[in-house]
Amino acid sequence: MHLTRRQFVFGSAVGLGALASPALARVPTSAPPAGKEIYLDPTFWTLNRIAYGPTPFEEESLRRMGLKHYLEQQLHPDNASDTLCNNKLSKAVLAIEYKASDPKSNEKATGSYPAVKEDRPLLALGSPLSDLWKLADYSVRIDNKERNRPTEEVRAATWIRAVYSQWQLREVMVEFWHNHFNVHAFSTAAISGTFPLYDGIMRKHCFGNFRAFLEDVAQSAAMQYYLNNNRSKASPANENYARELFELHTLGADHYYNDLYNRWREVPGAVKGHPIGYIDQDVYEAARAFTGWTIEDGSNTGKGTTFPKTGKFVYFDGWHDNYQKRVLGTEFDPNSPPMADGRKVLDLVSAHPGTAMYLCTKLCRRLVADTPPKSLVVKAAKTWQKNIKSEDQIKQVLRTIILSPEFAASQGKKVKRPFEFAASFLRATGADFAPNSGLFYEMSNAGYRQFEWATPTGHPDTSEYWLNSNTTLTCWNLLPKFFSDGFKVAQFDLAAHTPDNVRTSGDIINHWVRRLAGKQPDDTLFVALMQYMPNPKDPNFIPDIHHSDFKEPLQQMVMAIGMLPDFQVR
Amino acid sequence: MASDSDILVVLFLRGGCDGLNLLGPSSDPIYIAERRSETRVERDGDHKGLPIKNNFADSDFRFHFKAGKLKELYDAKHLAVIHACGLTNGTRSHFEAIDFMERGTPDNKTTTTGWLTRFSHEQKFKGMVPIISTSNSLPTSLLACPEAVAAPNVKRVTLQSGGHFKTIQEKLLNERYQGTDPIAINGLRTLAVADIFGKKIPLDAHGKQADYVPSAGVTYPTEGYTNELNNGLKALAQLIKMDIGVRIATVDYGGWDTHVDQEGRFANLTDALSRSLFAFWEDMKAYHDKMTVVVMSEFGRRLRSNESRGTDHGHGNMMMVLGSGVRGGEIYGQWPGLDNPHLDNQVDLAVTTDYRTVLSEVISTRFSKPMLNLVFPGFVYKPLGFMKA
Repeated sequence: MHLTRRQFVFGSAVGLGALASPALARVPTSAPPAGKEIYLDPTFWTLNRIAYGPTPFEEESLRRMGLKHYLEQQLHPDNASDTLCNNKLSKAVLAIEYKASDPKSNEKATGSYPAVKEDRPLLALGSPLSDLWKLADYSVRIDNKERNRPTEEVRAATWIRAVYSQWQLREVMVEFWHNHFNVHAFSTAAISGTFPLYDGIMRKHCFGNFRAFLEDVAQSAAMQYYLNNNRSKASPANENYARELFELHTLGADHYYNDLYNRWREVPGAVKGHPIGYIDQDVYEAARAFTGWTIEDGSNTGKGTTFPKTGKFVYFDGWHDNYQKRVLGTEFDPNSPPMADGRKVLDLVSAHPGTAMYLCTKLCRRLVADTPPKSLVVKAAKTWQKNIKSEDQIKQVLRTIILSPEFAASQGKKVKRPFEFAASFLRATGADFAPNSGLFYEMSNAGYRQFEWATPTGHPDTSEYWLNSNTTLTCWNLLPKFFSDGFKVAQFDLAAHTPDNVRTSGDIINHWVRRLAGKQPDDTLFVALMQYMPNPKDPNFIPDIHHSDFKEPLQQMVMAIGMLPDFQVR
Repeated sequence: MASDSDILVVLFLRGGCDGLNLLGPSSDPIYIAERRSETRVERDGDHKGLPIKNNFADSDFRFHFKAGKLKELYDAKHLAVIHACGLTNGTRSHFEAIDFMERGTPDNKTTTTGWLTRFSHEQKFKGMVPIISTSNSLPTSLLACPEAVAAPNVKRVTLQSGGHFKTIQEKLLNERYQGTDPIAINGLRTLAVADIFGKKIPLDAHGKQADYVPSAGVTYPTEGYTNELNNGLKALAQLIKMDIGVRIATVDYGGWDTHVDQEGRFANLTDALSRSLFAFWEDMKAYHDKMTVVVMSEFGRRLRSNESRGTDHGHGNMMMVLGSGVRGGEIYGQWPGLDNPHLDNQVDLAVTTDYRTVLSEVISTRFSKPMLNLVFPGFVYKPLGFMKA
């Protein structure tokens, strides 16, 4: 796509508005400003947290509408209107290449396949379970690249949406939920093959009701396989899912009292049916409740029957531990109807006040600060509990958080994760972007293992994990890769994305610092960046911005701004 | 003997390695009754465990059949095992257990530094890059240790941007990353590390950064579940040989959370652990007199196996210590037995040795007078005697 200077934001002429905005108008046009005062623009910082970074167009929209209206619009995404993103998705291709099947390998499998080398559109994204599940069948020879393909496509689509979708808050929340309900997609083909459906659950419920969300996750092939509940039978049951359900999906480790209490009655509130938290006995009992929740995978039930090969969730009573149970101080009668035990556990954990606190702490940590203000978490948890049965429970909580004074007062407190670093750079520079496996590889090197974080915690959300020399250096080195010919992820036309009336060296510096770092440069930064300009002593000099000689200096300067401390935070 | 150049390597088996399957009391009738044969060390057949000499307990302790190279190190008296040890806190959560262990304060998750951080600050290591993690990030044991460097791939630790403006960029970034906030400290450290590595990484005949070549005769295994561990150990070997003053290193090896189908997975993991650690030890021959490797995991696994042919989260576990300063070829600690009243919470192997005992003994015998009360506050340490004084 050729961009004219006027179409400086994703092909939209509306982007011009950013130029006329009061914020930019306040930036001096030539002389560097005095002092070291940093200009904090709330619009800029808001879009670094409810979006993958600002673009001039989004800044203008938010400024025009005000946060309240802008948020309402974001909470009611409409796929049909997301034209640019939809176009990018429909045109996207991802390379796939493998050799023909080796008849000598894996003698238990049947069938053969030819060599493949192609740029393939994202075809798996809309595929039904009946097609995707075929990839999980290890009795048929299928190259692992095909088994992993659906996840690779979700990765590509996630990148495209993060950079181009106008429904940015949804993307931010989908990423949040993927981490909250983390699975390692490449750990087995039942997960990698069905991952678009798992992504669909995140998208369906990201603004919805937590209890409904929890049940869809619990019954997904991805979670069933990842935490082994598909293999859990009486007795002893497999505890993996039940444990992480308490610890990571609902109450959180802060409500785990195993080091304090050996007996359930000792947990405060338990005798009255309202324990303040859980202990291992709750995990054991919940694990029993979920026995028999499994996936139709063609295996032998051990009870004289075989499951069909569909990949669908099924309840198999022959594996269920039917006797009485006690979870969180609540008695379960023996011989309950199918699924009733598991559903009752989901009811109990999703309604527990500890879950409200844990989830709201995590949401505030994502959107506000590593250590979010307690006042805000408590407010959000109140909204959470008040809307426990509402279809828009999560939406309500997001309103409480994002419209709070605590949110407004917490600018630039979060260190960007590599994904945010890269996406916000691409957005701010108006890159023409197409993800590929080279980008996924770099993210992984930086420590951001998109959909392949091995443990069920998901990616850490505090700076102590991300502030290390490997992550920082890998992120910084991504910028020259973006601008190189070989990487083939992005194309830039920085000159075309520099507005018409930004002409002098000083203006060019001010413009790009404002655009990436959200502030006007202080004296020393201004002088340092002048070294990139053809006439470093004269901020009023007007370089020929479209001349090929100016391409490298402008790119190097923009990369340098991307490496500044200001661009590392959101 | 303490030296001023000793190297401590902490290899963490993430996910809860099943110590009862790695070195199990093969003849104990309770062990046999509670565990499916696929999840225990067997006494007969193709998967017969490897017997070892010990004075620990009367239960015929044997290594897993894939741990042949560990047995070799044990028999050569380089490797010692400490069994029934771990965290005294009752948690069965991976993430809590790791948090407690690596902060070094078993009842306090809010400690703001890792135990290796406190140890390294207390030792005041000199040298260019004294503290290394071979993972993509730093483990909690190195929490709040800005001088520690994550270097999973040595060749990538150079700064690639700048072009014709390299000098201008370097000056700019060095100026902007000044200050005491964590972002500034990390940024400046990143620039320094890139600079050091840029100068120190060996070049090949064409002036390009050379791939690592292990010492003559040493081959790291390449097949099976070896990537994470091999990459980590090889990166570490290279870093140590680059002579940049490495004193502490952490290496991670994940995948031990064997809730289902433990048999095959555990065998693969153990095979890779055994052979890779052996290869690393051979590769590091020139450094044997100054090196100690500690192998640990967050907890052991449930005594009774589950119905999906796996084991769930447990408590007591084993640790291993490898080094020329180790009184190897013995199992240390106290075996609590597997009968119900002696199990922790009546389900899991009890902990009779606090994991901090093992770490304390290693650092206090190999490093100069560490202040253990700073490294493990509130912990009273009594040596087990597995290290030479």
